[in-house]
Amino acid sequence: MKKTFPLAAVLIALFAASFFIVPLVATFYFSLKMTRGELGFAAYASVFNSADFLTTISYSTVASLIAIAVGAVIIVPTAYWVRLKVPHLRPVVEFISLLPLIVPPVVLVFGYIRLFGSNSYLPLTTTTAGTDVLLVLGYVVLSMPYMFRAVDNGMAAIDIATLTEAAESLGASRLRTIAFVIFPNVRAAIIAGAFLTFSISLGEFVLASLLNRPAFGPYLVQLGQDRAYEPAALAIMSFAFTWGCMALMQLFATRKPGQRWLPRLMTPAKRTTP
Amino acid sequence: MTLDAAASRTEMRAPRPKAMQRPALDWNWLGVAPFFLFAFLFLIGPVLYLVAGAFQNADGDFTFANILELGSPNIVASFSLTIRLSVLSALMGAVAGLLLGQAVILGGLPGWVRNAFTTFSGVASNFAGVPLAFAFIATLGRLGLVTVLLRDLFGINIYGMGFNLFSFFGVSVVYLYFQLPLMFLIIAPALDGLKTEWREAAEILGASRRQYWQMIGLPVLFPTILGCFLLLFANAFGTLATVYALMGSGFDVVPIVLFQQIRGNVLYNPNLGYALALGMVVIMGVSNTLYLILRNRAERWQK
Amino acid sequence: MSFLSISNAVKTFGANTVVKGFDLSVEKGEFVSFLGPSGCGKTTVLRMIAGFERPTSGRITIDGRDVTDAAPNKRRIGMVFQAYALFPNMNVAGNIAFGLKIAGLSKAETDARVQEMLALIGLSHLAERFPYEMSGGQQQRVALARALAPKPQVLLLDEPLSALDAKIRVSLREEIRAIQRQLGITTVFVTHDQEEAMSISDRIVVMNGGRADQIGTPSEIYNRPKTRFVAGFVGTLNVLRAQVDSHAPHTVTVGGKTVHLPRPVETADASGTLSLALRPEALSLTPSAARDVTFEGQVQGVNFMGSVIRIRMHVGDEAISFDMFNSPDLVPPKIGQQAAAHFSSRDIFELSA
Repeated sequence: MKKTFPLAAVLIALFAASFFIVPLVATFYFSLKMTRGELGFAAYASVFNSADFLTTISYSTVASLIAIAVGAVIIVPTAYWVRLKVPHLRPVVEFISLLPLIVPPVVLVFGYIRLFGSNSYLPLTTTTAGTDVLLVLGYVVLSMPYMFRAVDNGMAAIDIATLTEAAESLGASRLRTIAFVIFPNVRAAIIAGAFLTFSISLGEFVLASLLNRPAFGPYLVQLGQDRAYEPAALAIMSFAFTWGCMALMQLFATRKPGQRWLPRLMTPAKRTTP
Repeated sequence: MTLDAAASRTEMRAPRPKAMQRPALDWNWLGVAPFFLFAFLFLIGPVLYLVAGAFQNADGDFTFANILELGSPNIVASFSLTIRLSVLSALMGAVAGLLLGQAVILGGLPGWVRNAFTTFSGVASNFAGVPLAFAFIATLGRLGLVTVLLRDLFGINIYGMGFNLFSFFGVSVVYLYFQLPLMFLIIAPALDGLKTEWREAAEILGASRRQYWQMIGLPVLFPTILGCFLLLFANAFGTLATVYALMGSGFDVVPIVLFQQIRGNVLYNPNLGYALALGMVVIMGVSNTLYLILRNRAERWQK
Repeated sequence: MSFLSISNAVKTFGANTVVKGFDLSVEKGEFVSFLGPSGCGKTTVLRMIAGFERPTSGRITIDGRDVTDAAPNKRRIGMVFQAYALFPNMNVAGNIAFGLKIAGLSKAETDARVQEMLALIGLSHLAERFPYEMSGGQQQRVALARALAPKPQVLLLDEPLSALDAKIRVSLREEIRAIQRQLGITTVFVTHDQEEAMSISDRIVVMNGGRADQIGTPSEIYNRPKTRFVAGFVGTLNVLRAQVDSHAPHTVTVGGKTVHLPRPVETADASGTLSLALRPEALSLTPSAARDVTFEGQVQGVNFMGSVIRIRMHVGDEAISFDMFNSPDLVPPKIGQQAAAHFSSRDIFELSA
């Protein structure tokens, strides 16, 4: 069989690659054009100097981190329990964990506003703190599919049943086992899920906008309406951030428990027997 | 701690007082209770509340009025627009993703090309929302780089020719940026599953490349392709941030209409909002369920 | 005039030469097996015949026509794969009809032929089944029918039985051979199982390291192996070191005994050492007139294998093993016992290479 040059395949690949790369290049170039007549990072400087940028991004960062923590605390024990004690509930738990993919954020937040509004049993939306709580919990819900999948995969990779038995035969209570044996071993999986959650929550728009919180997403939209060059700069930074999160997520998803986090700087001196 | 000490510790714990013993099931339910509680309060509950509200009027009585109001011209137009946009976006994504997948995985290109596209797709499928809209404005907007380049270097004025980023078609081009990678990532395992022996067996029986794809390749892939199409459809249907950042509040896709309802920017009729929400959930639920069914069916053939 | 001929085929992948000059002439209607261990190049040669690999050099001719540059779908060859490769979206009838559809046969002709093939493999009742609903043996028979339906010139089988259970393997190989005889189709069969190759082939090509070590009938390969590799790969073999008498090239000393060989020694090295081979069935505990040589030694192992008892003995510093048929009155020797094994000097042969 003659090996012909795969012309069609090469053309398709090139076309797809340019479709992906050209917008990034164009955006980057655009973001450099703020100072008339020259290319510079004025747009980026403007962004970093803006007070709104700093407040909204700190707000969103804190909210995302809390969401990650809450998510981990709810999901890790659940995944553990389902694996170990109630495997017959797995289909139900999995189904629920995937529900957020079917429920659009706009519907979810609408439900929150009506259910936790001023005339409900749990009037969260009437106070700022309550609304903040709602926002964070909303992020937990949105990230649930990814968090659950990441943690579940991590647990599948280590044999929890045996670990649990070992821990209990050594006298640990169930709580201790989860805290000191299970958690550390799925730490990498949790962190992988965390990065995914972080990248979803940081620039999230719908929940933050409808709950009227000073988050990064609404700030971006406002900026898009007011300014020209700064949005491009932010788009580039956002892409770089997403890329970083994905890369770190991959790194942690494939890490085995106990593996070193950083490479050894020096090899330990070999012991010599006297 | 010596082994003896550990063993004796276990022995000491072993005989549990009768009062503390409970049937295993009780404790086990407790373990997943927080999850169920959370899910019910903050996921299922709100959605059910909306669904119930869709069938109620302002006084709380049961009514179909809201559902019927979904039939009003504005709402119908909105659903029609969204469905058409989602179908177009899903079609574009499915065809493009399939072509790319076929080229990169089966086309005889070096292995690093596939890895590069897979990695990039993982990032690009998450790069949606406001920044994506910004990126495309900087690329294909009236003063976007590509627009200007085409005009100055090649004399092609795309806006003069009728193209507009801020249009139905423009939005679907923007959507393609995250739809294509999603399709690529999902179709890749299915393409891997196309055994080379099938291709060789078809070839030795006299089939040309086209006949192989027509009679074996595409039919085997069809459930997966259809499933992906539905997934892309649901994905496009539920998108809000991207299209909002691109088109503002005037582009009447269903998510934006609902958004405006919640914001109170239009005549505030919460029960209509419920009906809209119900409509969205039904459409997305149906397409995702069909996707899952098709995926299971496809897996059966991969044995 | 050979029907299928391969002349000096060479195949190189990058720096790796997998097939190092392969020649073969197959007669019409002949059943030839390629036998060898993994990596010996047998599948590569088969794929070159099929057209999935292009020879780096060399020619392939079928029925007088040079097909070396022809595409696989133009060679009129049928092929059966190790992994069955049935099309999952078609039922049995659809699979078998595939080649006929491509060839443009009418529906009536196609249906008739499909029924014919189903009867041939004995699966007429499974015409509507889909591949995932059938066992491995059934799938492979359908694959065979599919390959034969378009009446190809040559049938190629690439380790078709390796994925199946032992019992099915035996019955299916008989079936394949019976069908092949009935249709008179020239066939090449690749396998690593020497019992399989020997039981159904007209000729065997034993391959090693990209070359054909020996081409011959099963009897020739087994009884007169040309190389140590062939002798060792096909059947079990006792290999014994021997010393030739420098003055008498017919006479060797092996296992402490002097043996007169029917032919002069040819493969001794400078110091007069050579390797002799002896098949286990040539040895017996029972003396006879034909068995003119006797090895005496100590029994090291006795394995009861059902119809056969395998005895291991130490003769001098050599170990030999041989089989004896089981019989209810027979008392096998005990371990540690001294025993005498007899064989004919005509059955011991030299090993070259």
